[in-house]
Amino acid sequence: MHTVLDLISSGVHDAKNQLFLAESLLVRAEAEHGVALDEARYAIELAAQRLSRVLAAYRFERGIGRLSISIVPVSELLEEAALVNRRHCEHLGLTLDVDDHADELRAFDRELVLDILSNALQNASRFARARVLLSAQIEDGFLCLRVEDDGPGFAAAEMDEQSSPGIGLFVARVLALQHVREGRHGRVELRNGGILGGGVFELYLP
Amino acid sequence: MNTGDGDFYRSLRFLVIDDQPAAREGLRICAQTMGAFAVDLSSGYQDAIARIRRAPPDVILCDYLLGNDRSGQQLLEELRRFDLLADEAVFIMVTAEQSYEQVVAAVELAPDDYIIKPFSPDRLKLRLDRTMRRKRFLEPLFVAKREQDFDRAERFVRDAIETEAGRNYRFELMRQEAEVALLKGDPAAAEAAFLAILETHPFPWARAGQARALLGQRRLAEARSIMDEVVADAPDYFGGHDLKADICLEMGDYAEGQRTLEAAAARTGRNYERKRRLADAALLNGDTETARQAMADVIRNDTMPGAVSIADHLMLVRSHVEAGDLLAAERVLAEITPQRLETASLDERASSLALRALMRPDTERERIAALRASWLAIPLCARSRVDIARAAFAIGDNELAVAMAAALFASDEIRRMFKIVRDLFEANDMAAAFRELQRKAALQRIASGADGPSV
Repeated sequence: MHTVLDLISSGVHDAKNQLFLAESLLVRAEAEHGVALDEARYAIELAAQRLSRVLAAYRFERGIGRLSISIVPVSELLEEAALVNRRHCEHLGLTLDVDDHADELRAFDRELVLDILSNALQNASRFARARVLLSAQIEDGFLCLRVEDDGPGFAAAEMDEQSSPGIGLFVARVLALQHVREGRHGRVELRNGGILGGGVFELYLP
Repeated sequence: MNTGDGDFYRSLRFLVIDDQPAAREGLRICAQTMGAFAVDLSSGYQDAIARIRRAPPDVILCDYLLGNDRSGQQLLEELRRFDLLADEAVFIMVTAEQSYEQVVAAVELAPDDYIIKPFSPDRLKLRLDRTMRRKRFLEPLFVAKREQDFDRAERFVRDAIETEAGRNYRFELMRQEAEVALLKGDPAAAEAAFLAILETHPFPWARAGQARALLGQRRLAEARSIMDEVVADAPDYFGGHDLKADICLEMGDYAEGQRTLEAAAARTGRNYERKRRLADAALLNGDTETARQAMADVIRNDTMPGAVSIADHLMLVRSHVEAGDLLAAERVLAEITPQRLETASLDERASSLALRALMRPDTERERIAALRASWLAIPLCARSRVDIARAAFAIGDNELAVAMAAALFASDEIRRMFKIVRDLFEANDMAAAFRELQRKAALQRIASGADGPSV
């Protein structure tokens, strides 16, 4: 007996396997022909992230989503999020800097948080003029993961929590909320200004 | 160790395991691009085990779904069970399946890392570099554990946790501290170490660790209530089911022990270690049919070389005996040849002689009479003692049967065996003798002030 979720999961799973194969073939083509196909590979990874995100959103919306908490050094999280997005930023002529003020071990869902940061970085890269900054610090016991850019910033409607968000932001908010520690929930905040003067995306994890 | 150098991975042996040829090829490309040279490919579970036995790889990249009802997690557990994978070897699970995260976050026996498809060679290398650094850091601990020098292992963990390099590995070190304490036979220290981990997050594996530490201190009710919760919260953590069942059996709750294992076994059809546990629980619970089926399945289908042992055959014999099918029991017993018995343990030898005597009391009576003195003198496992008691009744040596039961009462083992032994005595019109043993054991406990089994 298959549930709708089984069908969707299995479809997403197959698609991601196919996307991995496509990426591997591009990797081989790069090696054989000496070409750089970073943007094509990035597009493949974004497509896979979208699929995962849709599935995660569906799970949490139905109340059957579960976090997979592990202990992660914050520095490693930042390093990996930057690695996934650096070449794309470079391709757009942007500098991606990383600043770790947290330097701690924290408990959270590594893959989901990576996905949220990656989405925020990709979003920032669309609007940045020259710089994107990924940073981490501890604020009032929360781990604050911040993505800033030097672009025009978020429109007022985007920052309004009552408005209907895009799926990336929707999932980020849902997932942030799932992280609970000592009665305190995670959250997402959007604002303008920050160090670079543009949009600021903040993920607070308890 | 300079893992940044492309040549570092050139000198390592890689093994890629995936049942899909295209995915295998994808992983191979990925491994080669990040600097691997020797990349062996395997199409699935059995083939992978054979290759790993022949030539242990340094790095294993294994897909989570291996086809034929097998998973990479099962392969990992099997490799550990047969000690085919050194602590220094790297095992990375590769999956497109997001649900694997639920598994990896819960289990004790997790891979060194897992990575979700699709990923670039750069990302795989990032993850591998980190794992390699961690392994290198922990190497002195691996060596100490292998040499069973637990004091040295403990010292390493305590010192390492204070170092700058050890900061990122703090949780791994806390976990190792708890595991080493259990290995050392210090469950109270293990409990404290698991509690320290649980302050950060209620990880199912750490709660199970706490339960194991409580079990080691015979605090069964506390251990049981933790595992009831763990099994409910993390239904995919099958090791948790095994542990809960174990605690149930220790408490004499055979029905719940069997039910727990049945639920887990139904979802891990080809895990024969769990089938063995199920047979044991079913037999204790008096469900001889389930025990027979489970052991027959193990003996027929556990194709791992050397996996099916004399102990397995003996379990099937017992299951047939308890089911009253002596013909079937005798057939299985005949498969344990005298040559095989030469390599058997004392327990296995005692059990197979006792079970033989049970089938043919008249021809074996003298042999048992000759062995009786040594059986009374040597330490034997609980199962063997029950086998001997059963044979003793068959040849009319009630005194030997009572002595075997008394030995079980003298240890904590009677908890597990209680129902079987009581039923055996009742079936031989010896219920009064059994009650007398029970009474004596209770008085003994009161006299020593020990919190022994309350059966």
